[in-house]
Amino acid sequence: MMKRTIFTALALAFSACMVLAQNEKYTQAMTASIQALNGLDKAKPDAKALQDIANQFERIAAAEPKEWLPKYYAGYSNVILGFVGTSLEEKDKYLEKAAALLKDAETIAGKPNDEISVMQAFQSQIHLAADPQNRWEADGAKFAEHLASAKKINAENPRIYYLEASSVFFTPEEFGGGKKPAKPLLEKATQKFAAFKPETNIHPDWGKAETEWMLAQTNQ
Amino acid sequence: MKLFYYLLLLISPLAYSQNTVSGKITDKKGNALPGANVFLKGTYDGTTTDANGLFSFQTTEKDTATLAATYVGYEAFETKIGVRENATDLSVKLEELANELNTVVITAGAFEASDEKRMAMLKPLDIVTTAGAAADITGAMQFLPGAQRVGEQEGLFVRGGSGQETKVVIDGMIVQNPFFSSLPDVQSRGRFNPFMFKGTSFSTGGYSAQYGQALSSVLLLNTTDKVSNNGLGISLNLANAGLNYDYATKNQSISAVAYYGNLKPLFSLVKQNVDWLQEPEFKGSSLTYRLKPTKNGVLKVYGMYSDSQLSMNSRDPASESGKTKLDLENKNSFVTSTYNDSWKEGRWSLNSGFSYSRNNDNTTLDAFNFDRFDERTQARIVLSRLLSGNNTILFGAEAHAIRLKNGFDGQSYDLKDRYTAAFVESEIYITRELAGRIGLRTEYSSLLKDYNLAPRLSFAYKTGKYSQVSLAAGQFYQNPDYKYLYTNKNLDYERADHLILNYQICKNQRTFRFEAFYKNYAQLVREFTGQKFDADPYRFPWGETNNAGKGYARGFDFFWRDQKTIKNFDYWVTYSFVDSKRLFQQFEESTTPTFISNHNISLITKKWFEKITTNVSMTYAFTSGRPYYNPNNEHFLGDKTAPVHNVNIQASKLQNVFGNLVIFYASVDNILNTKNVFTYRYTPDGKTRYAVGPQSYRNFFVGMQIMLSKKAKVSKDDI
Repeated sequence: MMKRTIFTALALAFSACMVLAQNEKYTQAMTASIQALNGLDKAKPDAKALQDIANQFERIAAAEPKEWLPKYYAGYSNVILGFVGTSLEEKDKYLEKAAALLKDAETIAGKPNDEISVMQAFQSQIHLAADPQNRWEADGAKFAEHLASAKKINAENPRIYYLEASSVFFTPEEFGGGKKPAKPLLEKATQKFAAFKPETNIHPDWGKAETEWMLAQTNQ
Repeated sequence: MKLFYYLLLLISPLAYSQNTVSGKITDKKGNALPGANVFLKGTYDGTTTDANGLFSFQTTEKDTATLAATYVGYEAFETKIGVRENATDLSVKLEELANELNTVVITAGAFEASDEKRMAMLKPLDIVTTAGAAADITGAMQFLPGAQRVGEQEGLFVRGGSGQETKVVIDGMIVQNPFFSSLPDVQSRGRFNPFMFKGTSFSTGGYSAQYGQALSSVLLLNTTDKVSNNGLGISLNLANAGLNYDYATKNQSISAVAYYGNLKPLFSLVKQNVDWLQEPEFKGSSLTYRLKPTKNGVLKVYGMYSDSQLSMNSRDPASESGKTKLDLENKNSFVTSTYNDSWKEGRWSLNSGFSYSRNNDNTTLDAFNFDRFDERTQARIVLSRLLSGNNTILFGAEAHAIRLKNGFDGQSYDLKDRYTAAFVESEIYITRELAGRIGLRTEYSSLLKDYNLAPRLSFAYKTGKYSQVSLAAGQFYQNPDYKYLYTNKNLDYERADHLILNYQICKNQRTFRFEAFYKNYAQLVREFTGQKFDADPYRFPWGETNNAGKGYARGFDFFWRDQKTIKNFDYWVTYSFVDSKRLFQQFEESTTPTFISNHNISLITKKWFEKITTNVSMTYAFTSGRPYYNPNNEHFLGDKTAPVHNVNIQASKLQNVFGNLVIFYASVDNILNTKNVFTYRYTPDGKTRYAVGPQSYRNFFVGMQIMLSKKAKVSKDDI
């Protein structure tokens, strides 16, 4: 009897160890990939390195089908790949993939998620930027819709305000955009960033550096 | 306990032994795919392929594992591999996903301006920014290959076809009066604002079995699903002033437009060739309502009303003074509602619509009253099913009730027609390179008391990564012009058979397209007056009529567009050749009709100046001479006019004024002031002739569009 209890306890402890190891492995892999992503030069990311990071996230996503974060980051990496793509064709390939990954992330999360909505808005923004003359109408509306739904879930998410500000920042002055009207929005985003704490170390926590850079530009 | 450690020790070396998995990822043709993701499913083990498509990684997995490979734009790949011994030299070939570039599209006869299609040859914006088109949809279509320019009449003249052989279709519904009321020797504009539409498809022949009652061509216009600009807008130009208001919530939107126009100010500045007694004055309004009742369902209701009046002295060679006073008052309304939906992830879709139009022209010509009235009610339903491998099949039916009345000097002519049609069409992808479309349409007209059966067929084959050939053939029927049916109800359908061969290559924002065609006309209406030919295009046909007419049109055209070579500079060139002869109307022999010009050339250039946010467009159009009737010439329609040259220039500038977006535009038509002549009309004695030219030789236009949109500003609530 005693022997059996010990054995069961051992077995339980062993499997708990395994689960713990798996979790740790997941966190470690995610942390490493996120660090790699953050380590890239945001203004001119190396497409090859970026592709490698996107692939890493996708591998984690394939191994952890219950986690939405790997899909989210894979989507994020593909949005940036879409941004750096050299032709419209190439850009669209990555952006379409990003959209599919984010849709998967939404399904896994199972409930409305502000970070995923923000990323979908970002995807629409980059999709618009690829061919503004023909896309401003459809993508502009999508961008606003995604941000509105993110705001509904969590109005404190600073990335909402960062994207709003960047959209105004990069809109030509003739269309009511530019540095001047972007400034108050950037200031608001900065405030929100100061108050923001990610849920865990691997939860989304990007956009602060970009906001600061843009704000510095408006002060010039 | 000891046993446990022992077991652990025994397991460990096994568990941590590393196996190498390596190989190469290529496409079907063996080209390396660098950047592909290769991994063992369910593990973190994997890598990215290098520049040569090679990969190699270590894994602690043993026995069998699932090797997965993914690459953007390609189908995901999975295979079971054994990893006990090192699994090296694996070779994986990925299959490309079907996309716009690697899948053939059926294009013969179609010329699309679309927002959604990346490879569309034209974008809706091109229509508004083309000089010489005057922001008129049909005006812009006249610069496309296959179209012929006929300056003194409205309508689209396509490949030897008359203006009446083209139908304008909005969201599937035939538009009864797409142009403002016709005036003698003056070209009328289209009634619809180009900003209403997200996509336009101009067919130069061989079009789908979904459409009928057009011997030559259909111009398909699809309205937008969303409001573009939340808020108030003002348009102001030399001809009219208008207000538009858009309001949208998540599931519904409303757009309202109201305008008033008067051409007096413009005509006082631009010398007119028309003797106006009262310059055209018009007013109108439209309302669009859109509702999304279900996830994919869209209900659209569009209604418009306009009225206009004018008075002019029209050229009348037959009268002593050489002119006849004409007064015209027009009232036009059009209501259309469509409902579209899809189910089962788009596998089933429905397009349905209902529309009503009514038009009233009160004309007084030389103190005689001519009243024209027409009314059309139509319903349409199309159900389509997406099958596996992108194949589709659709079924549909439509029914129209048409009523026409013509009054002349107290006498009234009345016509009623119930027109019904049913069609089925299937698109089949045999491979990604080869596709076909087979359609069949049947129509019944209560007026003609007859059925017809029109088969349509097209094929397309991809000859290279960027090029393809297509072939289209089909039969097309149309009721004879109603003016003949007033006096003879025993007439039959007129028929045209089309054969089209097309080649196109689209690469890197450059497009080349070539199309050759042969069109056979049969069962055309002939008229036997027993008198000399009467060239008056507005005469009422009194003679005997039958369907013994025939004819042909053949030719080719090409299109070249380059948006790449020079930054922010876009140009396209089209050339159309047509050779056509007909035996119809009052013709006694088979001859080239008056609306045919053998050669039509156009050159369109656009340049965007980023610094001054201005788009400048210049257009040159050449139309070769057209036959005209000279009673002194033994040879029937043996004379030809001189060619028509036209150079137009247009500029539009975007400007932010007090936080509102304003578009300023200015255009000059026929900048070289060429004295173009479209045709000549002779007095009955044949001694004097009048030249019919444009309304004004050189014309200019300025205007602006102001968008008082809140969306463009940062509101205080956001801060």
